[in-house]
This record gives sequence, structure tokens and C-alpha cells, in this order.
Amino acid sequence: MKPDDTLAGEMQRRGVSRRAFLKYGSYIASLMALPPSAVEALAEGLAAARRQSVIWLSFQECTGCTESLTRSYSPTLENLIFDFISLDYHETLMAVSGEAAEEARRAAMAANKGKYIVVVDGSVPMKDGGVYATIGGKTNHQILEDTVKDAFAVVAVGTCAAFGGLPKANPNPTGAVAISTLVAGKPMINISGCPPIPEAMTGALAYILSFGKLPELDHLSRPKAFFGETIHDRCYRRPYYERGEFANAFDDAGARQGHCLFKVGCKGPVTYNSCATTKWNGGVSFPIQSGHGCLGCSEPEFWDQGGFYRPLSTPLGAMGPALAGAALAGAALGVGAALSARSHQKHYLASLDKEKEKE
Amino acid sequence: MTAKTTASGAAYDVQGDRADTERRDAAMQAFVRDFARTAAIHMESCLRCGMCANACHFYVTTGDPKYTPINKLRPFEQAYHRHIGPFAPIYRLFGLKSNVSIEMLQEWESLIYDGCTLCGRCTLACPMGIDISELIKEARHGMYKAGLVPDRLELMDRTAKAWGSPASPSEDFADIIRDAGEEHGVPMNIDLPKADYVVTVAPAELTEHTKALSDVAKILNKIGASWTYSTEGFEASNIGYINGDLPLQEKMTRKIIDNAIRIGAHTLILPECGHAYGAARWEAARWYGKKLPLRIIHMTEFLAELVTSGRIKLKKMGETTCFHDPCQLVRRGGVTEAPRAVLKGLGLDLTEFEDHGELAWCCGGGGGVVSNVRADPLRFKAFSIKRKQVEDAKTQHFVTACGQCRITLTLGAKHDKWDQKVESLLELVADHLED
Amino acid sequence: MELLAFARGPALTFSLAIFVLGVVWRLVGVLALPPWHDYSPPREGAPPNWLAAIRAVFRKMIPHKTFLKDGMFTTINGYVFHFGLAIVVFLFVPHIVLIQSLFGVSWPGLPNGVITGVGGLTAASLLGALAYRLTSPVLKLISRPNDYISWLLTFLPVATGLAATAHVGLRYETMLALHILSVCAFLIWFPFGKLMHAFLFVLSRGATGIRFGHRGAQL
Ligand code: SF4
Ligand code: SF4
Ligand code: SF4
Ligand code: SF4
Ligand code: SF4
Repeated sequence: MKPDDTLAGEMQRRGVSRRAFLKYGSYIASLMALPPSAVEALAEGLAAARRQSVIWLSFQECTGCTESLTRSYSPTLENLIFDFISLDYHETLMAVSGEAAEEARRAAMAANKGKYIVVVDGSVPMKDGGVYATIGGKTNHQILEDTVKDAFAVVAVGTCAAFGGLPKANPNPTGAVAISTLVAGKPMINISGCPPIPEAMTGALAYILSFGKLPELDHLSRPKAFFGETIHDRCYRRPYYERGEFANAFDDAGARQGHCLFKVGCKGPVTYNSCATTKWNGGVSFPIQSGHGCLGCSEPEFWDQGGFYRPLSTPLGAMGPALAGAALAGAALGVGAALSARSHQKHYLASLDKEKEKE
Repeated sequence: MTAKTTASGAAYDVQGDRADTERRDAAMQAFVRDFARTAAIHMESCLRCGMCANACHFYVTTGDPKYTPINKLRPFEQAYHRHIGPFAPIYRLFGLKSNVSIEMLQEWESLIYDGCTLCGRCTLACPMGIDISELIKEARHGMYKAGLVPDRLELMDRTAKAWGSPASPSEDFADIIRDAGEEHGVPMNIDLPKADYVVTVAPAELTEHTKALSDVAKILNKIGASWTYSTEGFEASNIGYINGDLPLQEKMTRKIIDNAIRIGAHTLILPECGHAYGAARWEAARWYGKKLPLRIIHMTEFLAELVTSGRIKLKKMGETTCFHDPCQLVRRGGVTEAPRAVLKGLGLDLTEFEDHGELAWCCGGGGGVVSNVRADPLRFKAFSIKRKQVEDAKTQHFVTACGQCRITLTLGAKHDKWDQKVESLLELVADHLED
Repeated sequence: MELLAFARGPALTFSLAIFVLGVVWRLVGVLALPPWHDYSPPREGAPPNWLAAIRAVFRKMIPHKTFLKDGMFTTINGYVFHFGLAIVVFLFVPHIVLIQSLFGVSWPGLPNGVITGVGGLTAASLLGALAYRLTSPVLKLISRPNDYISWLLTFLPVATGLAATAHVGLRYETMLALHILSVCAFLIWFPFGKLMHAFLFVLSRGATGIRFGHRGAQL
């Protein structure tokens, strides 16, 4: 292997100094809250990393995830990393199409058997034999099984891939499922979010490239570094929440003064993601900072929490009919019980009368 | 009649020779009959907070938790939940509330009769306002039906049925009245065919306090009222009311009311007796199902009316006194100011007990407890509260307005070998009439 | 989020329905019993029944001094957890938001720090009540399973609520779900146990108030 086959070498060729590159390494490490000892290791590991074969599969998705990851606001090191990894197959990004594209995928799989990473965005339809999404006559499910078979690891990017997302939302017409339900036995990372934060994606990849293993994951297989805390935990509006100062509408005084958005439906308290710290668009802002509550986009079934503007502490269902019915039923039971009691009493009074007659 | 004890050592008496299940069913049915809306609300509401315990002289003086007022209602409660409460059908369906057992009723006999004077102090302590004493009174209906009543009370019941009074046969009444008149030199009216006021009496007045009979007469004569005693309806104390013998209660009430109506009286004067007031003033109309055409007032109310309206003038005594508020009259009857007005009229300077008026402690003998010899030890314990109150008051007189209280207090003092006279408001008024 | 969605969704709907059903059942079941007609003439100057009832409801809020001598703990502790529960339930903003979603009314809440403090005090007070119930001979004698179940189902929402805010125990969304589920259990039990006193106290005090008012007696 040529010495410049490494990431550092590639960077140098593009005019990025080794120093600058190591700085980037520590930035990633700090984003991931790695211990100081690991910072250098990551930077060094990243510098020495070699091209990694990646096969990107897109199933039932909206391309939002790809957009998020590739259309960063300015050319950044993230882009460079994407350039560096060998994207051997990506429907949206690759120039070739049709049979040629499928051929490229098969070639990459054969060449990197057991070493390539499969990145998936979108969920897989399972209903009716999976006919709702096919590529070249093959269902998503078939392609996934085929591709994953010889992979080193699977990365599900976006909530669709990680948890089913929009396609799986009620009533889930295509029988969409999360990738994790179909790839048992392979190392698996979920980078959830709709779309996910680019840094979460690159951070996870950088970690794998540097250390050759998966980063620490939470119970939903998300890297703890990016999904270890809730939006609410790190939200800069939190002091308002604690003081009980809330926006009641998007155009009221509270909203203008930047008060907490809980009452207008913010799901921050139960949403694990790093929007509040890493932010979006290169650290410019994040939804709450822009005045809108968190939708809970990195959590399973976030589409089905009764609406984005329904406060977290309210019931999901419509209560009216149930409660009215219950009240009626209760009244009927109450009257019934009282009648039964009265008949008990009458019975007794009748027996008293009989006694009197006897006398 | 046999005196027995339960496994836990509680004494109970049994009347009649019916089978246990029959007794139990009789009790259950009678319990069930009593649950009107108010009783049911109260049966639903207990918080098990225990506040009522601190109000009851029997708990306070024995420290025995079984005297906690709400505990005395256990069988009654069980009957309620099994047969009347809103969830009764469910309880029965799943067998969640068992039927009251005969053992339980036996065990509770002494709690319901010996251990409760129906004083109602617990009602004032209950944060939910549960009228516990009213419920205990109702629970007695079932106990009576079951034939599980203290023998002494049952004896009075039978005597009252036979004689028309638990103290003396009706035939003797006229003689007792005439004797009292002669003894105290007061002209008596007996069995007049028409009168405005009919005066009724309590058992104590037919035996120990016969002076009360002539005292009333003296006052009525003084104001020139048209009044009479009546052999046909003289006994105002209502042992049926106390024992839970509803037919007898009705009979005794009807007797005095019907008689007063026959005579054309506009007012029926009740004697210095608390339970008589409860039975007649508040419950008489229930037997008629309508408003009664005459006024029913307690002796104390009558005296207060005369004193405050100036129809009688009293010699001022200029001494100090304390006053025992009879529970049925004051706490449960609302006659709180009347006795105080009379004491004032007598020129007696009243030193109130720390707990007085509606909060007064019971004498310990109401609700038939004073007649129920089996309860004597318990009653004497309860008496200690009153004794301390009287001693702390340090007054020249100790007055009350209920003959039963007076007997209870006198007996208590005697048992304690404590030299303390208990005086009657009526007697004091009669003795201090200005000519 | 699945457990949370279950708690906020079917569990809450079901338990609120049971709550309404049970409360109506119990109230109607009692009120539809035959009334007691009192034909005795009221004492002169007796207040009308409705006034006597209302007066009794308020009069009974404060015990007579004489009953405090031995009932001090019960009374003060009772105040503490009743006020504590009322503050926590009705003045915590997320709760107000819930009430608003059900009934359309809302009011300002208190800062969370205050709520947490009051919640802690309430929990301590509830533990005190339990300890007293388990040690007082009177309470030991008169207590029923109802009392212990009601205690537990009152304590659990307080405990889970505090734990969720303090981030102790399981993950926040799970604690929140458990909190809501414990409230569901509370709601389901409410009409059938003694928690119902929150409604019954008006009837119970009122009924005695009417009886006493009629007689001109003091409560
Ligand atoms: S997760 Fe969101 S952005 Fe990504 S593919 Fe699904 S819908 Fe689109
Ligand atoms: S805006 Fe949302 S995340 Fe921020 S403090 Fe309020 S509820 Fe929490
Ligand atoms: S703030 Fe919430 S909804 Fe918005 S991107 Fe972040 S996790 Fe998703
Ligand atoms: S009525 Fe009096 S004696 Fe009976 S339980 Fe209540 S306080 Fe005790
Ligand atoms: S005071 Fe009232 S609520 Fe408390 S235990 Fe006694 S009866 Fe029940």
C-alpha cells in the first residue's frame, strides 16, 4: 500500500495540514466526549485510516438523510471524509445507473468481503411480499439480506432506517420495519434523527475508522456520545422551564422572549439527540433556538405521539366520548345498585308486615 | 336470658331461644332497613383517621382501641357494604364482603350498648362529619332484633311494654303525683280532660327525684297556666329509642303525643331528660309522617322562656356554679343557650368547663349505660373526666338539666366516695321563685 | 417511547373512563337511596338546609381545639400532604397542561424547584402517615386493606414523579411513563376506595350539617 493511501495523506494532497487535521480529530473526539487519553488515539487513528469501502442502500426514504449528510453549508472536513471513504454504491450520488450500478455493488461486495460497511437509509416494506419498493426487480428486503451477508457492520442512518420512521407511521400501509429487525447477528449502529445530525454520522464513522470497532451504544443501538442526553437536558431554554415561564403560542410574548416551548408541544424532555449541543448547519442553530419545539425526531414512533403541537403531558387519545360513555354507564350502574338496595329494604319491610299480621 | 362471654372475653346477653342464624338474619335485615341516604353517605365516607377515638370518653379513659367510635360500627358497616352500598351487587357476586357472623354480633353487643352513650362527641371530632352516634343508635335496631341486648336494658324494655313506663305501672302514676303534691305542698293537676300544657315525666322522677314533679307544678301554677299530668301519656323517656326497639319507640312516642293531642294541648313539656328530648322533639313526627299539631319542648327550654320573658321572677342566688351539658339536649339537641339563660336568671355565676356546650364531655351514663349494671366499671372510669372538670372549676354548685345525667353523676361521685351534690336546674328555679 | 405512548394513550383513556364511571356510579348509587324526611319543626332561626350544609363543609376544615390535643399529628400531617398534593397536582405546569387539555381551563403554575420541594415534603408526610397507621393501636385496629392500597397508590405517583424530575432510577421517558401509569392506577382505584373522600366529604359533612342545622346544634 502506498503511504499516501491514508486519510492524512489524502488531506495533505488537498492542502490540509497535518496539524489542522489532528485538530479536527480532537474536535470529533470532544464531540463524542471521549476521555483525553482517547483524543490523540482517535486523531492518530483517523490519520492512519485507510480507505474504507461503504455501500449505501436507500430504501423507503425521502433523501433527507443524504441531503443532511452531503449538503453541508460549506465544504467542510466532513465532506472530505465522505470523499475519502469509498462510496462504492449510492443510488443518489453515483453517476452510473441501472444494471451498471448493481454491478458496482456486487463488485465492491466481492472485493471487500467481510470488511465493507453497509449504510442504510429508509425502512423496508414487508407487507405483500415487499412489493412496495423494488430496485431492478428485487425487493428492498432481498437487497438488504444480500448486501448485509458479508458486511463488517451495518449503520442505519435516519429514523426511517433506525426505527421505521415516516413509512412506519400509523397506519403503516407498506408494513415498513426498521433495519435492525432484519439484520440479526451483525454489528449494528442506529444514527437516528429525521434527518440525523451530520456530525453524529461522521463521528460514528470516524470512530469506526480509527478504532476498527463500534462506539459505545445505548439500548436503541445509538452512539451514546450523540444520543446520551435529551434535548431538554442541554436545552438553553431549560431555565425558563424550571422557572415555569412558557410560551403559550408561537406568537405570544413568551415566545418572543424565548421562553420554554413545552406548552406548544416540545418533545425535548424525552428525545435523545445532540441538537442542543452540536446544533445544525455547522453549529449555527437548532430547532428550539429557531423558535420551534423539538418534534422528537430521533425517537421511535415520533410521528404517532398525537401531533407535534400536543404537549407531552397530555393524553394521546380523544377523551370526550370515552368519558361521556363512562359517565352514562356509571349513572346506570348507580341507579341499578340503588334499586337493588331498595328492593332489599322493601323485602325486609314486607317481612315486617307479615310479622305484624301474625300478631 | 343468659349471660355469656365471647372467645375474647367480652360479656354478652342473649334473649330468646332462636337459632344463631335466625338471629343473625334478623340483625342483618334490620341493619339493611336503616340505610337511608344520609346513613349511606356516612357509611361511605370514613377515612380511618382515628380522630373520633380522642373524642370518646370510653376510649380516652380506658385507652382500649376497641372503644374507637367507628370500630363500634363494624357489623353495621359490613351489612351496609354487602347489601346496600353502590358496589354491594359486586361484593355479593364475588363474595368480597362476607355476611356478618353471630360471633361478631355477640362480640359487638357490649361495644354498641355498654361502650356507647350515644353522646355524639365523636361526630364533632370526625373530619368527615360522619354522624357516628346516630349510626350506632341505628345499629342498635339490628341488635335488638337479634335478641342481643344487655339483659338489664331488655328488662326495662319488657317493663315498659307491660307498665307503660320502665319505672312504675301506669295505675300508680296518679298516686305518685298526688303524693309528691302533698309532700311538697303543691296543688297538682292530674288527668284533666282539657289543658294547654301536658307535662310528661322521666323514670328518675317517679322514684328518686319526685320533688321534680311538684317543682314543675309549682312553676306552672305560678304562671297560671292550664296544665295537667296524664295517666294516659306520662312517660317521656323512651326505652325503645335507647334499646333499638323501634316498635316500642313508636308505641311510647304515640302514647304521649296522641294523649296530648286528645287533651288539646298546644305544648307538650318534656321532663329534664336528654333522650326523651331526642325521641320526642326530633323523632316523634317520623311516626306520623307529617308535622305534628303541637309544640314539644324540653323543660329547660320552657324555663328559659319563662325567665327571659319575665313571666317568672327568680331570687338571685349570687353564687358560683358549673354546668354539665347533657349531650342529647345540648350537643345533639341544640339547646345550649337556654340553660345558661336560666342560670343567669338565678344569679348564678357560671364557670364554664374547658370543654363545654357542644364540646362537653358526656356524663358516661347516656344511651342506657347508666341502667346497664354490666357497664358500671366502664362508666365509673368515664366519670373521672367529669370529676376532674368539676374539681377544676371550684364552684359552689354543680348543676345539670337531665335527670339521667344527674343520676349518673351522683352514682359516680358516690362510687368515688366524693362528696359532690349534683343539682337540677328545674329544682333550683322552683326553689327560687319570687313570690 | 412505546411505554410512554401506551401510558399517555390507552392507559390514560381507560383509567380516566373508569374513574368517571366509578365516581358517578358511587355517587348516584348513594344519592338514589331513599331520602330521610324530617317532619320535626326546625329550631327557630335554623338556617336553610343548603346553608347549613355549606357551613358544615367549611366548619369541618378546622378541628375543634380540644380534639387537637391527641389528634395533632393526624391533623397537621393531614394538612401537609393534602396541601402538598394539591400544590403538586394543580400547580405543576405539565399537570396544568394536562388539565387544560381535558377541561379547557388553565392557570399559572409554580417554578419547578418549589414543586420539587413540596413534592419531597409531601412524600415525607405520606411516609409519616403510614408509619403512624402502622404503629398507632387505634389505627392498626380500624385500618383495612383499602387504607393501605389507597396510601400506596397515592404515594407512587409522588415518588415516581419526583424520581423522574430528579433523573434517578430508569431513563426519563420510562420514569415518566411509570409516573403516568401510577396515576392511572390511582385513578382506577379512586372511586372504589377511600380516595373517594375527595368527593364524599362534601356530602358527608353536608348531611350532618343539615341535621345539626335543623336542630340548631353546633358542629
Ligand atoms: S429519517 Fe427522515 S430524513 Fe431520513 S429518510 Fe426518513 S423521512 Fe427522510
Ligand atoms: S424548549 Fe423543550 S427542550 Fe427546551 S426546556 Fe423547554 S421543553 Fe425542554
Ligand atoms: S430538535 Fe428534536 S426534532 Fe429537531 S432535529 Fe433535534 S431531535 Fe429532531
Ligand atoms: S357517641 Fe359518645 S360514647 Fe358513643 S362512640 Fe361516640 S363519643 Fe363514644
Ligand atoms: S373520625 Fe371519622 S373519618 Fe376518622 S376514623 Fe373516625 S369516623 Fe372515620
